Amino acid sequence: MKRRTLMLAGAVMLLPGLALAHGPTRQKVTVTTEVAAEPADVWAAIGDFQDMSWHPAVHASTGENGNAIDATRRLVLGGEGGPTIDEELYKYDADKMTYSYRITEVDVAVLPVTNYSAHLTVKPRDGGGSIVEWRGAFYRGYPNNDPPAELNDEAAIAAVTGVYQAGMDALVERFGAPGS
Amino acid sequence: MRWSSGSVRRAARALALVALAAPAGADMAYVTCQSGDALSVIDLVALTEVARWPLPGKPAGVAVAGGAVYTVAADTKTVRRHAPSGALLAETVLDGGPIGIAVDAARGRVFVSDWYEARVRVLDAATLAPLTDLATGAAPAGLDLSPDGRLLAAAERDADRVSVFDATTLAPLWRAPVGTRPFGLRFAPDGRLFVANVGSDDMTVLGAETGAPLATIRVGARPYGVGFAAGRAFVTNQYAETVSVIALDTLSPVATLDVGEYPEGVDSTGEGHIAVANWFSNTLSVIDGQTLETLAAIETCDGPRAFGAFIARDQ
Repeated sequence: MKRRTLMLAGAVMLLPGLALAHGPTRQKVTVTTEVAAEPADVWAAIGDFQDMSWHPAVHASTGENGNAIDATRRLVLGGEGGPTIDEELYKYDADKMTYSYRITEVDVAVLPVTNYSAHLTVKPRDGGGSIVEWRGAFYRGYPNNDPPAELNDEAAIAAVTGVYQAGMDALVERFGAPGS
Repeated sequence: MRWSSGSVRRAARALALVALAAPAGADMAYVTCQSGDALSVIDLVALTEVARWPLPGKPAGVAVAGGAVYTVAADTKTVRRHAPSGALLAETVLDGGPIGIAVDAARGRVFVSDWYEARVRVLDAATLAPLTDLATGAAPAGLDLSPDGRLLAAAERDADRVSVFDATTLAPLWRAPVGTRPFGLRFAPDGRLFVANVGSDDMTVLGAETGAPLATIRVGARPYGVGFAAGRAFVTNQYAETVSVIALDTLSPVATLDVGEYPEGVDSTGEGHIAVANWFSNTLSVIDGQTLETLAAIETCDGPRAFGAFIARDQ
């Protein structure tokens, strides 16, 4: 563990633009789920950029400028004093029930990604209910060649998929599965 | 030259799976798909995918020149030369982080940017044997050759700079600061150099002879690439999911077009259309450069990047 810390510190010195640098291959993850509630009800629960309380991993959210473009939020994960993720809104369309945001600051030990952006969308489902779609695009946490296992492409995909799936599972629990 | 005989054999086996060869007589797009380890061959007249080549190693960079298709697989650091039919003609494995590619067919050279080692590799266009290296600023990405073939330009992403070399002597000619994090660049038909700055959401226009700054043009969020058709520049805005259209005579905005999600590679056809690879949507948008009408969104393999000059124009 100590050796890895040293290695990362070395990388910081070699790469002045570390926060901007990224690995060779951008990754994408899409997770969708179906719920019984109508789109307007689901959007009312998840469509406020300043309220991530619907996600079980989010303890608190504070931010500025509501749902305006360039609005910001800081998510506190887990519990009081937990790790944080800073995010910025770059697209918001209440009519289409979709918003897009990017991460401006996160420790790769919390979420092993860089240059992360995502869309969250609610769509009507044929036969009633809603489809919720969460799509992310990002690079792995380690920007240089030969990443350690916990900061490679697979680790980044697994971490983002886990976050999305936990959110979707919570929505199914809250709104029920269609036809159930 | 380092040959990887194992990957040659794998590629030869993969090629046996190719069912359709590209027909002659139409503009063809060769779209590298990084997520899908594949390349979609798209007939730009019939507006349909005609072949899909397996292409391992997370390919992103592509250049069509001299009757061949060159690709760069970022993960395995493999540069390949393919016949338009898909047959593998040559292959080499580099070190560092190969990403962008441009071809000087007249002088038989291939240029490959090395993201990690701050250099442009110069390879023999036929055998892909490394010939020499050109030193650049940090994280070189997009490469292009000027229309008259005299100049090679490299976008140095983490140096916020562009370097231009003499394509004949390979001597450095000039360097010019641009916007923040330049990634894609291309020479316009009139010779001016257009540079898309991912970090500052703008495009820098430079004079080709000395790098004199001519203009900075505001575009959409995260501009990645630029192509030219019908006297206009077309800039792909990755986060905005749009294409900014700029008039080349006045450098003023003409329109902003909706395309698919995460538009990236952009290039023009012989009949003045623009093709845009939409990385998240897995489509190629084809736009009439004059009317700005979207003619089609053609399905591609997974994660199309098409980072480079990816269209073969029927002569």
